[in-house]
Amino acid sequence: MTATTTPRTRTLTIIAQDPSVRVKGKILRAQVEVPAEELAPGPWGYRVHVVDYDSSTLNLYRPMKYPPIGSSENGDGDPFFKASDAKLLSDPNFHAQNVYAIVMRILARFEFALGRRVSWGFYGHQIKVAPHAFADANAFYSENDQALMFGYFPGMSGRMVFCCLSHDIVAHETAHALLDGLRTRYTDPSSPEQAAFHEGFADVVALLSVFALPKIVETIIDLNAPGKNSSRIARKYTTVEALRKSMLLGLAKEMGQELPAIRGDVLRRSVKLEPSRTYIKDPEFIEPHRRGEIFVAAVMNSFVEVWARRLKALGTTRYLDRERVVEEGAMIADYLLTMVIRALDYAPPVNLEFCDFLSAVLTSDREINPNDSRYHFRDILRETFVSYGIDPASEGTEEDPGIWAPPEAGLNYDLVHFESMQRDRDEVFRFIWQNRKVLNLYEDSYTRVLSLRPCLRIGPDGFALRETVVEYMQIVNVFADELDRLKITAPEGMPAKQKLMLYGGGTLIFDEYGRVKYHITNRVDHPERQTQRLKYLWEYGYYNDPRSFKNFANLHRKKRAAPFADSIRQEW
Amino acid sequence: MATIKPKKLTLRSYQVGFGDCFLLTFHYNGRTGDRHVLIDFGSTGKKKSHGENLMVRVAQDIKKRTGGKLHAIVATHRHKDHISGFTTNAKQTGPGDIIASCNPDVIIQPWTEHPKARVNAKEAPGTITKTQSFVSSLRSMHEIAESVLLEAERRKHILGKRLHDQLTFLGEDNLSNLSAVENLMRMGKRHHYLNYGSRSGLESVLPGVKIRVLGPPNLKQSEEIKSQRNKDEDEFWQLQAMSNKFVIQKDPMLFNGARTYSHANAPGATRWFVQRVRALRGEQLLSIVRSLDKVMNNTSLILLFEVGGKKLLFPGDAQIENWSYALSKRSVQRLLAGVDLYKVGHHGSRNATPRSLWDNFSKRSDKVTKNRLETFCSTMRNKHGTSRSKTEVPRKTLVAALKGSSNYHTTETLGKKLSFDFTMTFR
Repeated sequence: MTATTTPRTRTLTIIAQDPSVRVKGKILRAQVEVPAEELAPGPWGYRVHVVDYDSSTLNLYRPMKYPPIGSSENGDGDPFFKASDAKLLSDPNFHAQNVYAIVMRILARFEFALGRRVSWGFYGHQIKVAPHAFADANAFYSENDQALMFGYFPGMSGRMVFCCLSHDIVAHETAHALLDGLRTRYTDPSSPEQAAFHEGFADVVALLSVFALPKIVETIIDLNAPGKNSSRIARKYTTVEALRKSMLLGLAKEMGQELPAIRGDVLRRSVKLEPSRTYIKDPEFIEPHRRGEIFVAAVMNSFVEVWARRLKALGTTRYLDRERVVEEGAMIADYLLTMVIRALDYAPPVNLEFCDFLSAVLTSDREINPNDSRYHFRDILRETFVSYGIDPASEGTEEDPGIWAPPEAGLNYDLVHFESMQRDRDEVFRFIWQNRKVLNLYEDSYTRVLSLRPCLRIGPDGFALRETVVEYMQIVNVFADELDRLKITAPEGMPAKQKLMLYGGGTLIFDEYGRVKYHITNRVDHPERQTQRLKYLWEYGYYNDPRSFKNFANLHRKKRAAPFADSIRQEW
Repeated sequence: MATIKPKKLTLRSYQVGFGDCFLLTFHYNGRTGDRHVLIDFGSTGKKKSHGENLMVRVAQDIKKRTGGKLHAIVATHRHKDHISGFTTNAKQTGPGDIIASCNPDVIIQPWTEHPKARVNAKEAPGTITKTQSFVSSLRSMHEIAESVLLEAERRKHILGKRLHDQLTFLGEDNLSNLSAVENLMRMGKRHHYLNYGSRSGLESVLPGVKIRVLGPPNLKQSEEIKSQRNKDEDEFWQLQAMSNKFVIQKDPMLFNGARTYSHANAPGATRWFVQRVRALRGEQLLSIVRSLDKVMNNTSLILLFEVGGKKLLFPGDAQIENWSYALSKRSVQRLLAGVDLYKVGHHGSRNATPRSLWDNFSKRSDKVTKNRLETFCSTMRNKHGTSRSKTEVPRKTLVAALKGSSNYHTTETLGKKLSFDFTMTFR
C-alpha cells in the first residue's frame, strides 16, 4: 500500500495588485501558496470565513465548492487558474478567493516570522471577511464584528471598483486585524504615534507584501526601465534614486489609477517625504495618518537602499541580470516584511513610539541573524530612521547601536518553574511579582499579564531560536491634580478632578533556559511620555468622546472628511 | 455734515422650529428711516403646537413688519434649516414668494454659492479649479443626501426608528433646496458672494454700520492655516455620490446572474454576521451624512456688525473649521473680545461655539450687569443628536454656560407665539 502525503500548501490565483495593473492588456495575476486545508464553501477555512453579504443590495452570494487539495480537478485545487480576466472581474466567487488567499498569505507570513500561531484580536478563531460589504469607498477591520469589510464603488471610469481586488488594501486591513491580536493595547488611546503606528505598520505590511511578489517587481521595472525585452538592465536604473523613482513611485502610480481616493496616496506621499528630522516635531504630522507616513517613508526608503546597495555589491559591470535584480528586490521585501513583523515581539505592550519600534527591529533581528554583513538591513534601517528624526529608544552597544539593553541584574528565579512559565500566566505573574523591585515596577497600580507566547523561530541560516514572550501591563487611576506627585504635567485647562487612567507595562523575553534576555518597558509613571500622551488626548477630545478613538471605519473616513482633527478640543 | 447712523436696533427672533430666522431692523432718524435685514429663513422640523403654515405666517409677518421692503437678505449657507423659507410654489403663494415681493436690494451669500464657482459639465476635468472642485463636491453631497433618504426609507424596518429618524433629519437638511436657491438667485438687485475679509456689500443699505466678514475662508485662506487641502476629499464625495446612486436603483445588481440565497435559506453560520453587516450599513450612512453636514455648515457666513459702540456677531452654523482662520488672527480675537450680542452658532450644538471664542468674550458675566453679553439661540430640543453621545442640540453644557454668563434668549420659550423682539440702543 502506498502512503499518501497531504500537501502542505495550496496554490491559488490572486490579482497581483489590482485590476488596473496590466501586462499586454491583461490583468497581472500571481499564484500564491497558502497553508493547505480542505475548504468548506465560502471559502471557509480554519482561520478565515468569507461571507459574501452585500448590505447595499441585500444579497448573500452563494459560494462555490472547492476541490480537494492536490486534486487534478481545476488546476490543483485552484478553480480560477485558467479563468479569463472577464471571469475574474465578474465572478463574486473569485473575489471571495482573492480575499481568502491574501488574508491567509499574510497570516502565514506573520506565523512564520513569529514562529507560532497568531490569534486574531477577538475571541474566535475565524475572521469573517465580507468582500462586498457595502457600496462605499471604504474598507476596514472591525473588531466588534470580528471581520474585515471591503466596499465597492463606481470608479471615475464608470467601471465598478472593488476594494477586495486590491492586494494592498486587503493586506492592509489584515495587518490591522493581526496587529490587534498581537498587541491588543495598541488601539488604546495613547500618543499620536501609537495610532500612527497602527496605520503605518499596516501600510508597510501591505506594500512589502506586494513587493515580495516577483511578478510585481518585474512588471514595475519593465514599466519604468527601458529595454524590457532584454535580459539585462543598465546599472544606472538600479541606483537608490532610480529605484525610488521607478519602483516606489511607479507602484504608487499604478495603485492610484483606480483607487486614489481610498488609497489616499500613502505611498506617493511617503516616498516624496525627503529625509528630514523636523517632521516628527511638526504639528502638521500630528494626525495619525500623516504621522504614519513618516514611518512608511523610513521603512520603504530602507527597502530601496538595501536593494540598491545589494545590487551595487554584485560587481562593476555596466549591466545587471534582469532576473537577478527582480529576485533580489522581492527577496529583500520579503525579509524586511519578516523583520518588521518579528519586531512586534520586542516592542513594549503599550504607548508605542517609533523609536521603540526601531530598537525592537534592531534587537529582534540581531537575535535571529547575528551576521548582517551581506545586506546590512539593520545599519540601513537605523540610518534611514535617524534621517527621519527617529532615534532608537535605546543606546545599544558599540557593535549593535540601538538595540535594547540587557535586563536588570539580580532577578530572582527561585520559587518559579520555567516549564510552567511557558504556559501558565499565573506562574509568570508570580515571577513578575516577586521581582517587582528589581524590574522597577510601579507598585501602587493594577498589574496583569496580557499574553504569554512561547515561540520557535527559524533564522535565515536555518538556525532555530526558542523564546518565550510575555507582555504585562500596569494601570494607575488618578485625578488630574494628583499628577504632580508622579512628575507628570496635567494639560492646560483640564479640571482638577478629571479622572485619568495611566497605562504602562513591559515585555519580557525569556531565552530557551528560562532566563530573561530583555525587559522592554514603557513605565506607567514616565513623566515626559505620560505628559505628552495626556496633552494629546485632552487636546484631541478623547475625554469628550472616547468611542471615536477606537474605530477603524471612522478613522479611515476621518482621513478624508475631517482634516481638522484638533477641532474636538473646542467642543462642548 | 453729520454722519448717518442708526440709533437703535430691533432684533426679531422668529419661531421656525429647528432653524434660523432673524429680522434685524436698524432704526435711523429722518429720511433714512428703518432698514431691514433678514438673516436666514429656514426650518427642518416643527412641532404641531407651532401651528399650520408656520413658514407662510412668518413670511407674512416679515412683510408686514418691513412694510413690504427688505433692504437685504443674508443666506448664511444652503442648509434647509436656513433657507427653506425662500421656497416658492407654482401659485406664487409660498413663503419665498412673499419674501421676494419685499424686493430686497442686496443678497448676501457665501463664496461657495457664486455661479462662477460651479463646474460647467462640458469642462474638461483637467481645467477644473480647486474652487470648482470643492463646490462640485458640495453638489455631490446633495445627491448623497437624496440617496441616503431613499435608502433610509427603503430600509426603515432594518434600521430601527432612532437611526431612521436621524438619517431622515440630516438627509433632509442637506437636500439641495433648489427652489429656494433659485429664488435667492432671482431676488435682489445686487448679489455678493463673500469670504473672510470681503467687503460685505451691506454698507450701501446700512449707513453708519461697519460689517466685517469673518468667514468662511476661501480655499487659499484655509490653506494658510493647515497643510494643502487634500484633493482626495473632493474626489471622495464624488465617488460616494456615485456609490449611493448605484444603491438606490430599483434592483441594484452587482453581478449579473450570480446565485444568491434567499433571506430564509441563508446558512446558519452566516446569519449572525449578516445581521452585523446590515446594522453597519445604517451606521455607515449616518456617518456619511454627518460628515457632509459638517462640511456644509462650514460654508456658513460669519458676520460682525459694528455700530454705535456695539458689536453683533452672527455666525450662522459655522463650526470650528470655518472659525479657525478668523480665530488664528490676533486682530480678530481682539475685535471679538468686545462682542455685545451673539447669535449662538448652529442652534447651540456642541461644536459651533468654539470654546476659545466663548472664553474670549469679555462681556460674559456671572452677574446681571448693564453691559452683559446678550445671546440668542434659535433651536428645538429632541431633534438632533442624543445626550448619551453628548451630541444633543442644544448641548446642555453650552446652554448652562450661556445661561450662567449671559442674558440668554431662546426661541424655545416662544411656544405658540410667532416671534419675540429685543431692542438695543446705540451711542
